[in-house]
Amino acid sequence: MNFEWSEDDARFREELRAFLDAELPPDWEELSRHGPGSDVQAAFSRGFCAKLARRGWLTQSWPREYGGADATPWRHAILSEEMWRRGEPRGSQYMNVNWIGPAIMKFGSEAQKRTHLGRISKGDVLWCQGFSEPEAGSDLAALRTQAVRSGDDYVVTGSKIWTSYVNGAEFCFLLVRTDPASKRHKGITVLLAPMDAKGIEVREIPSVVGERYFHELFFSEARIPADCRLGPEGEGWDVVGYALAYERVGAMRYARAALMLDAIAAHAAARGLAGDPAVQEKLGAARATVEAARLLSYRVIDLRARGSAPTADTNVARVAGTLCENAVSDLALELFGPGALEYGHPGDAYFRLAMTAGVAVGTTEINLNLIASRMLELPRE
Amino acid sequence: MDFEFSDDQRAILDAAEALLAQHAGPARAAEKGAAGEYDYELHAALASAGFSEVALGPGTGFLEATLLCRAVARAGGSVAYGAGALVAPAVAGRALPGPVALARADDAAPIRFGADAKTLLLDAGDEARVVRLEPGAAARVRTNFLWPMGRVAVAPGASTSLGPGSGARMRRWWRVALAAELVGCMESALAITLDYVKRRRQFGRAIGSFQAVQHRLALATVMLEGSRWLTYEAAALGAPDESAALAAAHASDAAQLVFRETHQLTGAMGYTREHPLHVFSMRLAALRHEMGGVAAQRREVARARWALA
Repeated sequence: MNFEWSEDDARFREELRAFLDAELPPDWEELSRHGPGSDVQAAFSRGFCAKLARRGWLTQSWPREYGGADATPWRHAILSEEMWRRGEPRGSQYMNVNWIGPAIMKFGSEAQKRTHLGRISKGDVLWCQGFSEPEAGSDLAALRTQAVRSGDDYVVTGSKIWTSYVNGAEFCFLLVRTDPASKRHKGITVLLAPMDAKGIEVREIPSVVGERYFHELFFSEARIPADCRLGPEGEGWDVVGYALAYERVGAMRYARAALMLDAIAAHAAARGLAGDPAVQEKLGAARATVEAARLLSYRVIDLRARGSAPTADTNVARVAGTLCENAVSDLALELFGPGALEYGHPGDAYFRLAMTAGVAVGTTEINLNLIASRMLELPRE
Repeated sequence: MDFEFSDDQRAILDAAEALLAQHAGPARAAEKGAAGEYDYELHAALASAGFSEVALGPGTGFLEATLLCRAVARAGGSVAYGAGALVAPAVAGRALPGPVALARADDAAPIRFGADAKTLLLDAGDEARVVRLEPGAAARVRTNFLWPMGRVAVAPGASTSLGPGSGARMRRWWRVALAAELVGCMESALAITLDYVKRRRQFGRAIGSFQAVQHRLALATVMLEGSRWLTYEAAALGAPDESAALAAAHASDAAQLVFRETHQLTGAMGYTREHPLHVFSMRLAALRHEMGGVAAQRREVARARWALA
């Protein structure tokens, strides 16, 4: 048991921080407050990821045969921490690297690998994901967007909702039902759908989270070439299961929370509240949730580094991450004071970033269900 | 980074758990706890097997002592393992005659193991002080919290200083020991409750199959797991100020949730002396008030992290 970073890993983090200091523009903090879906951040991520790719860091965790460096999961975690800490300048491209690319490596045809992996590893392509539907949220297997085979195409009809990162996305990792008679997990198929296909319409759903955060995708007999299918027809559920297990704790969101909490504490001290026992207590309790989330995420990385199969430790880490974001965002409004109500204030920006933590990428309830069944072995009945 | 026990650590823990299975356990803890008695037999068994001296090696250290502290608490040991085998060697650099009790110099409240301690370790601010207790120096205190407790009267001038800075060192390791005991007690309280909700049937089904029950136990598990890793990290890094305070603060928060939920979910049965939950739940309730309680632990985090004071 050892809780210290190796010298190599510590050096890597230092290099990464120096790179970020040099590459992020002086107004980056301000830009990043518009949120990951904004025009400005989507555009920025392209140039930024290309630079990250040239340093060999973008897909360092990928196998060498696909242009990676076989970096350890710990390296991958450091990269994710440093990126989240600074407001995730990779934008949506973290998804490409974390799970879309690996899913293509595992299930893709040679042509798909050639088309997509090279572009992802160069950092010049944006993806979105089409999972949720109006009637299929936590209950993802209830999805009904239909894809009917017609010659060399699938004809897709239906809609997806709550899609983020549509801004500038060229491809969608799309879940469809190819067998209309199928139920639940059977008959689902993954399409790597080009977003410029005719019959795909995008509509933003305005929200309080931020600019272009949510979208609805409408498919009106959109023709998606059949060679865009990832893996066998009807076995998309397994593809998604693999992809999301691979993702595990992909986004080290607590790193942002930690930085924000430091800023909140500094602000509180500047307001003369350093000696206020109630303020000290709240900050101390929040800090503990941040550090618990960090260690529980590390536990998942540790298991992955050992090559173990995914466990419910991932769900434990996710719930802990949500507790941490909730605690810090509460304090962001409370201790920054009314100034944090102004759009673009650091407190406002963090509050918006954190408010979806318990819902995005699997709700807290689903994570608690999985902890109960897989870790605590409580009966379903 | 490595989150697994080494083979040596595993072997030590296995041996300790075998000993604890023989000399400790909830039934014995319930009996000792009800009578307010110190478990001298377990104390002697741990000492003669060498478990009381792992903190100062060779080949073992404070992390191993912390792991054992958790194991003793989880087994319901009615002994001052954390104080004697972890805090005392960390502060004094050597073992002190046990049982050892820990106290704050300005606090006359009853303390755990106060009635049985041979040595009192005092947090006197900048320095820690050692007091050799004569028989009769302490009065046993009746308590419902399952720890043997006593009120100790220390004559002024009867103590020896362990040097400048030893007070902070004592508080840091006291927090780690406390966190390890909280984690051990929480593990047992939750395990007992899980077992209960899987067996107990109402409305024709195990109550553990209700989502309302599952979510609460799952959330308690999240808090426990976070406390466990914070405790291990603090111990492995040598109890840095912030790390030690984080472990104690988070484990104290978790303990409150675990106390409430385990009692809620075991119903009336959980309050009885025949059911083992009370040993761990009542001990948890007491532990989270040690050292000034959860508020003080949280404030220590703020002081250590941001120098807020």
